[in-house]
Amino acid sequence: MQSPIPNPKTEIRSLQSPLGFLTAYVPEALFHAAGFTPMFIFHTPDDRGHARAHLPGFTCWVTDSALDQALAGKLDGLAGMALAQTCDTVQGMTDLWRRNVPDIPLFHFGMPLRLDSTSARTYLLAELQSLRERIQSTTGYPIHDDALQESIALYNRTRALVRRLYARAGDFAPYDFYTLVRAAFQTPKETYNDDLARLLEQPAIPPALGSPGSMPRILPVGSALADPIFFAVLTQAGARVVGDLLDLGERYFAMDAARNGNPLETLADRLLALVPTPTKYHPQRTRAAHLLSLVQTRSADGVIFVRQKFCEPHGFDYVQLSHALDRVGVPHLLVELEQASQAGQLRTRIEAFVEMLTTNQQ
Amino acid sequence: MPNYPRLQSLKEINSVMARYYVQRKLLARLKPLAYVTSGAPVEIVEAMGILTLYPENYGALCGARGAAVDLCQIAEATGYPADLCSYARSHIGAVLQPKDAPLKGMPRPDLLVCCNNICGTVLKWYEALATLYDVPLFILDVPFQRTTPAESHIIAYVTEQLREFIAWLEVHTERRLKPDKFHAVMAHSQEAVSLWQEILEFGQHKPSPINSPDLFVAMAPVVALRGTRQAVDCYRHLKAELEDRVAQSIGAVPGERYRLLWDNIAIWYRLYRFFRPFMDAGACFVADTYTNAWTVELDPEEPLISLARAYTSVFINVDLPTRLRIIADMARRFQVDGMVMHANRSCKPFSITQADVRDRLRDELGLPVLILEADMCDKRLYNEGSVRERVAAFLEML
Repeated sequence: MQSPIPNPKTEIRSLQSPLGFLTAYVPEALFHAAGFTPMFIFHTPDDRGHARAHLPGFTCWVTDSALDQALAGKLDGLAGMALAQTCDTVQGMTDLWRRNVPDIPLFHFGMPLRLDSTSARTYLLAELQSLRERIQSTTGYPIHDDALQESIALYNRTRALVRRLYARAGDFAPYDFYTLVRAAFQTPKETYNDDLARLLEQPAIPPALGSPGSMPRILPVGSALADPIFFAVLTQAGARVVGDLLDLGERYFAMDAARNGNPLETLADRLLALVPTPTKYHPQRTRAAHLLSLVQTRSADGVIFVRQKFCEPHGFDYVQLSHALDRVGVPHLLVELEQASQAGQLRTRIEAFVEMLTTNQQ
Repeated sequence: MPNYPRLQSLKEINSVMARYYVQRKLLARLKPLAYVTSGAPVEIVEAMGILTLYPENYGALCGARGAAVDLCQIAEATGYPADLCSYARSHIGAVLQPKDAPLKGMPRPDLLVCCNNICGTVLKWYEALATLYDVPLFILDVPFQRTTPAESHIIAYVTEQLREFIAWLEVHTERRLKPDKFHAVMAHSQEAVSLWQEILEFGQHKPSPINSPDLFVAMAPVVALRGTRQAVDCYRHLKAELEDRVAQSIGAVPGERYRLLWDNIAIWYRLYRFFRPFMDAGACFVADTYTNAWTVELDPEEPLISLARAYTSVFINVDLPTRLRIIADMARRFQVDGMVMHANRSCKPFSITQADVRDRLRDELGLPVLILEADMCDKRLYNEGSVRERVAAFLEML
């Protein structure tokens, strides 16, 4: 399957008011309505050593790389950077960015930790209003409700398309599949939507490798999508993906924002309704229950936890989720990624896991 | 090797804390027991007659007794990655295998109260405890104070949650928060916190009558017994002893030559041993950022809003410019000659901006700063030889 978006890496300078962001809780549509083009700052394998002068050695590569890119001038041209409150490292990054990258204005968004209470919703609405005002005072232009409704509709279309893509996930080689998903974070939505719609209109998608029926069905669980090395190894090992619980994966596109009503309330209600990432808390909507339901509905053969080394939220989450899988006898594997991750080491472990799942199938 | 005068009040504090654990074990059979995080508004819990225990304090105790690594390994064997917070790993190890833990572990809680103003790790730790014990968990969400003073909607959110918290405690314990009792506890808490603040300021004297490792021992009541008479008594005695020392010009480090500032949580398994070379060189840690974390002010007349303000503005929950101001102010007030920062693998909120703090102190105040990478409890991350060499080089530079 050839991707219609062969190189999703868009040059920053070619975008209109590009806005970088990290974390899975930045309200992209609000920035879009203000004229920004939001794009996720994915971590890259190269380390120029700039961030090491600021961050301790036990910082995850996702954050380290973003600061490294900024200090190396690779993000010059960004009209802003947005971070939502998630983990301690991102909180520290808020401070470090303001101090060390003063030319790119930082927008901090205080996403509540609790997703279940009335007070959290009231606070979230106040935060969205505060963010709207801070964006307006930076750009000097108001964000009108009409513009916001239009942006919400645009993002809803992206979400609907990506959900259709996920419904066919098993037809793609994992590497190609995640190249397409990742492009949603790096390409202007207007272009992305059209490209993806065209791809989905193709009546039949030829299987990427061999016969998909015989390939083990995997659910990856973890944070970001920026580790092509992992998806490449998964592809080479002969596995296919049938869904995921990645912070920027299926859950991110899971539901639309309502089309009617106060647009900030619409944004707030959607953020509160999503399956939480491990940095958030909802007593009834637990990640373990969601993962077990995914395993069942997708007939997954196994789960691979992809954790960035030093990531506390996903480290603790792994224990809760893996124990839940153990109780129902679902095989799982933990792989840890860092800047210097080597394909060789990953390949051995993932191939062995996939082979074990293949044997189980027979 | 010189002898260092020991503070007699620390013996009292140690015995109060030893009794504290024993008493909790006995009383937990009669009263509800809540595990709480160190930055939680414990005054409300205390005023309702609910017992409290602090897993973080227990983690420090495991570290100080050299028991942490074995307990961490118990947690790691069940899947916890070895790079997670060592307080959490130690405590979870103790929950899983109490027979191998100091004091045979902590008594089983009835409730869990988690406040994220000190870090996000406590959410995951307490979620794990809620699963292990199958008991109710309350999360008090205190947003990051990205500008100082805190924005009004943040304080409104925290205040509203305090109301929800009181209602939650009343439902789960069938106890009521009585205004007069709450008022009394707030007053005790305020008194203990004020005394603690005065104790910290003694470091301004030359020579300083107190050294940071003493404060690391002395801080236990302000963490775990805030809102009780005992904490107030302990600190009155300690304050009187420090006044005596000042009157007689007795320094914690005889022949004090250098005055230093400490940053981050203590290295519990090397508490005095780590500081020994500094003391031998005449260097006293006259102030630190860690024990300064419990100095927030409360107003018994406006309890909920003042609790919300106080617990939002704790040192590691505020923006870096404010923290830099606090640290630079400490450096000036305490007339320090340098700073030692513990880059603590287990504590990201304390550690992640340290290099920028170092640069600021070096560039603007001309102070030498040493950053040492270690861990508060996990001894496997402590490189004795490297620490010794770097400390010696730093002292030579002073």
